[in-house]
Amino acid sequence: MNEAVILAAAEGANPLIPNIWEILVTLLGFAVLMFIVVKFVVPMFEKTYAERTEAIEGGLAKAEAAQAEASAALDEYKQQLIDARTEANRIREEARAEGAQILADLKAKAAAESARIMEQSQVTIEAERQAAVVSLRAEVGTLATELASKIVGESLADDARSARVVDRFLDELETSQNAGAVQ
Amino acid sequence: MIALALPAANEEGFVAPTLDEMHLPEILPWGAEYGEGFGKQMLLILLSVALISWFFIAAARKRQLVPGRLQFLGEFSYNLVRNSIGRDIIGEKDFRPFVPLLFSLFFFILLNNLWGSIPLAQLPTTSHVGTAYALAAIVYFTWIILGIKKHGIKYFKYATVPSGVPVAILPLVVLIEIISTFLVRPITHSLRLFATMLSGHLIIMLAASGTEFLLLEAEGLLKPLGALTLVGGVGMFLFEVLIQCLQAYVFTLLTAIYIQGSVAAADH
Amino acid sequence: MTGEISGSLNLIGYGLSAIGGAIGVGLVFAAYINGVARQPEAQRVLQPIAFLGLALTEALAILGLVFAFVL
Repeated sequence: MNEAVILAAAEGANPLIPNIWEILVTLLGFAVLMFIVVKFVVPMFEKTYAERTEAIEGGLAKAEAAQAEASAALDEYKQQLIDARTEANRIREEARAEGAQILADLKAKAAAESARIMEQSQVTIEAERQAAVVSLRAEVGTLATELASKIVGESLADDARSARVVDRFLDELETSQNAGAVQ
Repeated sequence: MIALALPAANEEGFVAPTLDEMHLPEILPWGAEYGEGFGKQMLLILLSVALISWFFIAAARKRQLVPGRLQFLGEFSYNLVRNSIGRDIIGEKDFRPFVPLLFSLFFFILLNNLWGSIPLAQLPTTSHVGTAYALAAIVYFTWIILGIKKHGIKYFKYATVPSGVPVAILPLVVLIEIISTFLVRPITHSLRLFATMLSGHLIIMLAASGTEFLLLEAEGLLKPLGALTLVGGVGMFLFEVLIQCLQAYVFTLLTAIYIQGSVAAADH
Repeated sequence: MTGEISGSLNLIGYGLSAIGGAIGVGLVFAAYINGVARQPEAQRVLQPIAFLGLALTEALAILGLVFAFVL
């Protein structure tokens, strides 16, 4: 063991004692690197990020706006559809009510008319019946008496005769009536 | 580490890689009188700055709404830091100003860790403690200044005096809080990154040099053991890639948590 | 293969001390995973707490590392 060699080696190479020049070179090198990074690298990367974020977020915002617009339009259409449906319902309802109204009116009118016509015809019939009754009452007596006298004047056993009598009576009646009508 | 720094006495035996192999000879002897000159580690740091700047400017420049492959990759990476680290931890309200810091930290550390797994580079620059100290210091001063700006001098009260603690043990709690917040935080923040990278790299170096030794120089029955270390070394390499990504994530996440702590100090 | 084992006891001590931190970190994340599994929506709340716990627990292991190097 050579004591001196050990000591010399230990002193020369104690790894914890720094070399001033290494420190200086490191500081210098790091300063240069730091300068370049601060000045160029970080701004460029950050700018790229900002642009990318902008691009992506801008695209997203645009898509969102389009989406909103589309949904607004859809809402509007739906609203319009609902409006139109209510409108149609309303109109249909109105038409139905109107139709019912008209029908009822017509029915009432028709009923009134028929009632009126019936009334009138009954009155007419009654009047004619009255006239007929009056005229019959005036004539039936004389006719009955005349017929009876003729029937009694002839023989009742002879059918042919009696039929003749009746026919004659009727002919006479007709002629007298005709004469009366002419008169 | 002394063991690692110690070459075995036997010239023919296995020589384990030492920590000195992490410090390769400088390319240019600038400032060599103050320590080491301009070495591979510093070159890799500057290269990482150029690479990260080029990649993200190329990815972000087109600004298409539908991203291409490169832009998608850039946006995915940016999103990872912005949303799952920044926004989720710091909160929707005030995470924006810190996105550049978190973003730069994450990719700076990620690439500088991954240098350890990239052929030809093969050196995680964060395994040099100066880099880890510098990054942790940036974060440390950021959250302290932020807290003071936001809450004034009261910030130290918020940060160190927890509410609802019995008066009897309050001094002890405050002492612990001061140590754990203002002392241990930056130390662990830097050393966690540094130590994981250093140890991971050492393990891979050990596995690689062990494999080389066993396959080329060992005799007889020991030779096949080289296959074992080879498989183990590949496994450790893949594990190391995972750790490298994870440590970048943890570092950035802790940054976000510390920033959140000072932005919202009054809440707890 | 007649080499002798040489080195510092510090690293063995550190290896032992790291057990504590490892167990602590394991417990923190076990609790975190449990919590998230039971209530996935709580993940955002639990994540900072879990990682603060991780930072605090791991601090012990890292302090051990520092002392292993420094002492």
